[in-house]
Amino acid sequence: MLNRRDFLLSTLLASATAALGSRGAAAPADTTDLWLNRLTFGATPETRARFRALGAGAWLDEQLSLPARDEGLTARLAAARLHIAYPAGDEGETGSWQAVDEDRPLTLLDADPASLLRLIDWTVAMDYAERLRPAEEVIAASLIRAVHAPAQLREVMTQFWHDHFNVHSEKDEFVANFFPAYDAGLRDRALGNFRDLLGFVATSPAMLVYLTNDESRASPANENFARELLELHTLGAGVYLNDRVADWADVPGVAEGLAQGYIDEDVYEVARCFTGWTVGDGRWVAEGATTPKTGLFAYVEGWHDPYQKRVLGREFPSHRAPMADGEEVLDMLATHPATARFVCTKLARRLLVDDPAPDLVERLAAVFLGAEAAPDQIAQVIRALVTDAAFAAPPERLRRPFEFLAALLRATGAEVASREQGWVWNLGRAGWRQHSFPPPTGHPDRNRDWETGLVLLRLTELALYAQDEWFGLVPAGYATRLPPAARDVAAITRHWGKALTGAAPDLGALAAADIAPDWQPEGDDERHAVSALAVAMAALTPQFLYR
Amino acid sequence: MAEPVLVVIFLRGGCDSLFLLAPSADADYLAARPDGLRVLRDGDRPGLILPTALADVDFRLHPATAELHELFGAGDLSLIHATGLTDATRSHFDAEARIERGASAGDAGGWLARWLAHAAPGGPLPALAVGSGMPESLRGSRAAVAPSLDELMFLAGNGWAAALRARLGAGFGQHALTATAAEMFALSDMLGSRIWTEADGVTPYTPAVAYPEDSELSAPLMTVAQTIKQDLGLRIATVDYGGWDTHDDQAGQFDRLAGGLSRALMAFWRDLGPRQQDVSVVVQSEFGRRLRSNESGGTDHGRAGAMMVLGPQARGGRLLGRWPGLSNETLEEGADLAVTTDYRDVLAEVLAGHMGLTDIGAVFPGLAPAPLGLFG
Repeated sequence: MLNRRDFLLSTLLASATAALGSRGAAAPADTTDLWLNRLTFGATPETRARFRALGAGAWLDEQLSLPARDEGLTARLAAARLHIAYPAGDEGETGSWQAVDEDRPLTLLDADPASLLRLIDWTVAMDYAERLRPAEEVIAASLIRAVHAPAQLREVMTQFWHDHFNVHSEKDEFVANFFPAYDAGLRDRALGNFRDLLGFVATSPAMLVYLTNDESRASPANENFARELLELHTLGAGVYLNDRVADWADVPGVAEGLAQGYIDEDVYEVARCFTGWTVGDGRWVAEGATTPKTGLFAYVEGWHDPYQKRVLGREFPSHRAPMADGEEVLDMLATHPATARFVCTKLARRLLVDDPAPDLVERLAAVFLGAEAAPDQIAQVIRALVTDAAFAAPPERLRRPFEFLAALLRATGAEVASREQGWVWNLGRAGWRQHSFPPPTGHPDRNRDWETGLVLLRLTELALYAQDEWFGLVPAGYATRLPPAARDVAAITRHWGKALTGAAPDLGALAAADIAPDWQPEGDDERHAVSALAVAMAALTPQFLYR
Repeated sequence: MAEPVLVVIFLRGGCDSLFLLAPSADADYLAARPDGLRVLRDGDRPGLILPTALADVDFRLHPATAELHELFGAGDLSLIHATGLTDATRSHFDAEARIERGASAGDAGGWLARWLAHAAPGGPLPALAVGSGMPESLRGSRAAVAPSLDELMFLAGNGWAAALRARLGAGFGQHALTATAAEMFALSDMLGSRIWTEADGVTPYTPAVAYPEDSELSAPLMTVAQTIKQDLGLRIATVDYGGWDTHDDQAGQFDRLAGGLSRALMAFWRDLGPRQQDVSVVVQSEFGRRLRSNESGGTDHGRAGAMMVLGPQARGGRLLGRWPGLSNETLEEGADLAVTTDYRDVLAEVLAGHMGLTDIGAVFPGLAPAPLGLFG
């Protein structure tokens, strides 16, 4: 695949002339790029114009009010094709299947969950790629959305919640099947109310299977979901007091009616509260009884531990109404001050800075708690963060691999089709597993986790190759987007440099590599190859890498 | 003998040590778990009998771990039971962080990073975290991170490499990537002269023995073996092996995981050949699992687990540690195998006995080491 470049290199070296001096550093970014790079998947010429036309306040209002559904995006997703190929197979008694090698539309994103259950039916023979297909479609769509969705802030927050409420979509065929509904539900609620969001997650088949609560029954209960609900979804490990408090009655706050933190006894009790929260996929419950085949949440009373419980110092009576134990736990957690701090810290980390100042977190947590019943609670917290004086801090967060790729595609005006998932594999080599991160923590979100040589190498390759034809991501190469007036290397470099960073690039590196600035590539292949270099040169700068 | 190398394999998720290294005849063990979640003493797949008993308990290895049993029998492998954190935490991420920091608070980084800072080994590649992320144990060090060595090569063979090298080489201002880029180029250049040729590209690693194809541990351990044989000055390597959080449907998963560990570790060991004498391998996890299984066919987070130390410098073939028993009054909080050996005592002894560390306080401040006799 590199032969063409080798050829081009020889062409370039043959035409090399005198070195060109540096044009100097880029102009400092104004707040347009600061906001757009934090609150969207990356500034573009169009969004910069929109931001400046509306003004910051109205632009934010618009972003916070755009719905999850957009006609243009829906049409784009309908036009997308994701390649699927597998050989013919035969499973004997259950049947056989024909070989498949086709570009198939994303037909499962909005499918009725009940209709997808055929993909987890092992009495029907099919290649395993078909069983994982729903997750693959969501993954393909995620990059198309990140690049092209008008509701960018909602998309940024959808990815945030995917990390916060992490589910490994390809853990098995069950999670894969339930994943389109999970993704859609997170997007619908991404700017909404946290209690609503938490309730959605706790009753999502994808989460219930991923954290194995779907088989939890009395007794002993399966503690997997309960522990991560407390540690990762709500209160946070910062108030896990197990090594400091031996007796539940001694946890600070219990005497006042609500524990400030939790210990293992709370985990055990919460696990009991969620026994019987399972999935309607026709699974066996008892002799002659199965859950309904809905593809939705199901509650099995017979699996529930009905007796009295004590959670965070509050006593629950025995034999309550169906799901009342779990619902009360979610009520307590969603409005707990520790949850407010934990979620607001993560949110400020995502949108602003590795280590948000404690006073900023307190201000955001106050908004979070004050708006606990508001349908736009999360939007209110985001507004408080963005309008806080702290938001004027200079760019400090390194774009993680998915964000880097999306920003690159946006800034260069690429039309993303994601016919092949090679980009997923390449992000994986950099540690980013889009919707397929195995541990429940989600991807790490501090610069130190990504500022490695390995990541820098993979970002360099993505910047150089992601829009090549063989990569299968962008159908039309750079040449189709390059103004005819950009003829020589210097002009092409300036064009893409301005598109990526809003400023003129430093041409010194070209000179250092003996690439002549006045050389004029001929034909689309050469203009594409020189553009790829120009894009990579601009992308691998602090101005583009940090937001 | 070349400089000693320490390989740390972390079983992420909490390995059920009571299913790996089991008190197979213990009445409390028999009562707490169904057959499918116990190591059995008879039937089609009985547990593998260990020649040395600890506290008169009939310990057996899981039947999928024949290679571990063989290494134990050959005197290369030591098993330490009832080890773990002295802090009572059953959170994966809290327990992992505490263990990998070595119980050090604040910004003191990971225990392996402290060893690196103290020993200051030379060589082009003193520490390698095999994978795509830096583990907490190496936090604060400048260890290289990569799933395989060829993933550290900068645009090998690409015509634009010189221009992009000039760009990256100019740095990223005050950002940490400036130092990262410089280190990346140094490693890439060094590897370019070792595992890459202009004509054929990357030279694939050819191990001396076949590694199991069905173990996720094979590829990372091959990378470690390759790095050792390349004589790049490797002293510390970390490998993560995930999937041990078996809250449900544990029997089949554990069989695959433990078998994958056993077969890959044996392949690695044989692959090393004469270099075995330089290498010590520590296998650990963040905690063991609950004695009593749950109703989902799995086990929940527990406390004490097991550790393994592989290496000819250690006096292997022994079960070490104090077995606390499984009766209700001996369990921690009535539920979990109690921790009787601080995991740091094992690590400290390996650092002293294998890596030649004399000042244990430089790595584990405040620890009064209680050696188990791994090395004598």
